[in-house]
Amino acid sequence: MNNFWTVVGFTVKNKLRGKAFAITTLIIAIILSIGINLPYIFSQFGGGDKVTSIGYIQSQQAEHADGTKTGDQLKAYFEAQEGSKLQLVPYGDKGSAAENEKQLKQAIEDKDIKGYLAFGEMTESGFPEMTYKSEKLMEFEMTSSLQGALQIIRQDTVLQDAGLTEEQRALLNAPIAIDAVQISATEGAGSMGEGKTAEQQGMNMGLVYAMLFLLFMSIMISGQMIASEVTAEKSSRVMEILITSVSPLKQMFGKIFGMFVIVLLQISIYVIVILANVSLPHNGKVMGNLNINLSDIDPMLLLYAILFFLTGFFLFATLFAAVGSLVSRTEDLGQAVMPITIVSLAGFYISIFSIGSPDSMLVKVTSFIPLFSPFVMLLRLGLTDPPLWEVLTSIGILLVGIYAAVWISAKIYRTGVLMYGKRPSWKEIRKAMKAYKI
Amino acid sequence: MNPLKADKVVKQYGDKTAVNGISFEVGAGEIYGLLGANGAGKTTTMRMVLGLIYPDGGQILYHGKAYSKEQLSNLGYLPEERGLYPKVRVSDQLIYLAQLRGMSKKDADDSLKRWLDRFEVPEYYNKRVEELSKGNQQKIQFIAGVIHSPKIVILDEAFSGLDPVNVELLKSTVKELRDSGTSILFSTHRMEHVEELCRNITILHRSNVVLQGNIKEIKKRFPKERVILSTEKEVSGLDRIGGVTNVIRHEYGYEIGIANESVGGDILRHAMNQATITRFEIKEPTLNEIFIKTVGDSHE
Repeated sequence: MNNFWTVVGFTVKNKLRGKAFAITTLIIAIILSIGINLPYIFSQFGGGDKVTSIGYIQSQQAEHADGTKTGDQLKAYFEAQEGSKLQLVPYGDKGSAAENEKQLKQAIEDKDIKGYLAFGEMTESGFPEMTYKSEKLMEFEMTSSLQGALQIIRQDTVLQDAGLTEEQRALLNAPIAIDAVQISATEGAGSMGEGKTAEQQGMNMGLVYAMLFLLFMSIMISGQMIASEVTAEKSSRVMEILITSVSPLKQMFGKIFGMFVIVLLQISIYVIVILANVSLPHNGKVMGNLNINLSDIDPMLLLYAILFFLTGFFLFATLFAAVGSLVSRTEDLGQAVMPITIVSLAGFYISIFSIGSPDSMLVKVTSFIPLFSPFVMLLRLGLTDPPLWEVLTSIGILLVGIYAAVWISAKIYRTGVLMYGKRPSWKEIRKAMKAYKI
Repeated sequence: MNPLKADKVVKQYGDKTAVNGISFEVGAGEIYGLLGANGAGKTTTMRMVLGLIYPDGGQILYHGKAYSKEQLSNLGYLPEERGLYPKVRVSDQLIYLAQLRGMSKKDADDSLKRWLDRFEVPEYYNKRVEELSKGNQQKIQFIAGVIHSPKIVILDEAFSGLDPVNVELLKSTVKELRDSGTSILFSTHRMEHVEELCRNITILHRSNVVLQGNIKEIKKRFPKERVILSTEKEVSGLDRIGGVTNVIRHEYGYEIGIANESVGGDILRHAMNQATITRFEIKEPTLNEIFIKTVGDSHE
């Protein structure tokens, strides 16, 4: 056991001392800080809150009467709204359609307005035909907010004509609320009882998201590091000396555990950076809007999340170590770890894309397959309420999978580290594996 | 009981036999030479002794006991190629390796400092291995093999890539180890080192043992076939003496091949008639010649 900790210590110490680790951590920390402060930085430039101005022609002439009326109504509507992002700017009539168009285009060029409304024939909707003209493509947001405004204006006009009182109109517009609560009809694996409220569901989804990313990131970061460390030891032939000093199993797990410590450290640094940035006073408002309440997290879910994180990490880490030991040169490593990378990617994407449909057959099936289950079962636990036996079965299969992976990896490791030259064929690996006791 | 004993050890890779029934014993305080051309099976034999790979037949005994994990701290290994972390400080990795072999951190540190002083390079303590020259890396590699004071040391091509000064330094260190009772299994291509260091040798050729035993006895088994002759002026007609097989002229004189030892006298008498003789020697075969002869013969 002593040697195990010696290996762990050596792995951690060397990683921490390396420049690469410090630089990577620093760069990602800086990117995180910038990312979190981006909304604030943008708001400092005033870009976010800018009011968009839309021009229209205001005219007393009969042919412009409908258009002018609609324009004035919109102008009044947006002015009445507090903090509206839109405003209508009237322009005088120049006499001819071409002249008016020229005037409005000039206004766009002078950056006084973003675009303008052109009115046509009166339609059945009670408004004239309208075209929003601007230099930008796909202005759906703009047209839909104009549409919404017009809906309300029309509704108000109709209701006013119908002789409803102010109170009656307010009642018609009052919002209706329905709360969705997730309950379990059978004994689920999560915490029992009243079911989850919308806030709790939100927090659970957040936790699932966070854990999925954490697991995926950890596997990606450390898997590569583990595999390349093993290959480096092999190509520098330190391995021959190491294997004569300490059993391969201890060596492999010492390395994996050391990397685990490094990854945890790295992730904690990121989390601290995120928290520190978020708690800066100018970011307080953003946090308030997110409505985060940690007490809404289901403690059972957290427990499962940690369990699946650990098992998932060690399963993938052992596989990466095994693959690293098969390759003699670092150049060949990328190709060799590809299959594992793809599998972890698949597990991650299955869960991310299934967040909308956590009860699909794909999710159910993959939540029992060892390499996917750390991702997918966590999703099911967080968003649905799978029966306890299914969760336990999944964990059971996962543990068996880990045991098998450890056994095979240790064998491959013991065998692979002494195979040099060309990539060994499967036959050679199988034959050599039989020869070594772990 | 000898610290290391190999008994009819066989190793096969697929249908190719890498080592075919090698047996030898290394006593305490003895350097045992393992010779052979490239690919003869030396490194495979050494790896089996180290427990890196397992023999397919026969057995290897350490102080009379079979291989076990407990033996690991008794073994020291210097691989043929560099086996160090290039980017890690000398002190860090040597202490690590020593710790893995059961030393305490402090003992390892003391031992490392002593060895660095012995090699007159204490300033390497804090250097990274990649910063050192090849020869100096070899010194560090050597220390890695012996830092934990093993009973059995395996040196695979220990002196390759070293300048003559460092070869002498390392050679005298190996002798010190021998004198302190360490058993050393030693492989090299440099026959003069073997003659200087080893008491017993095994010559491997294409996986088979072709020659084995005490160097002195081996040499006696081979006839003396060469005469070295130095004279003050040139001697003619040497190649016409009966029994002379060939004559090579060197700057220092003549190297004459002879069919048997008695021809030596004829040569001496022939030369004395023509010039003053400054040197006359009927040479023992060198290990180099024996090696080439043995390995070359079995080529046919």
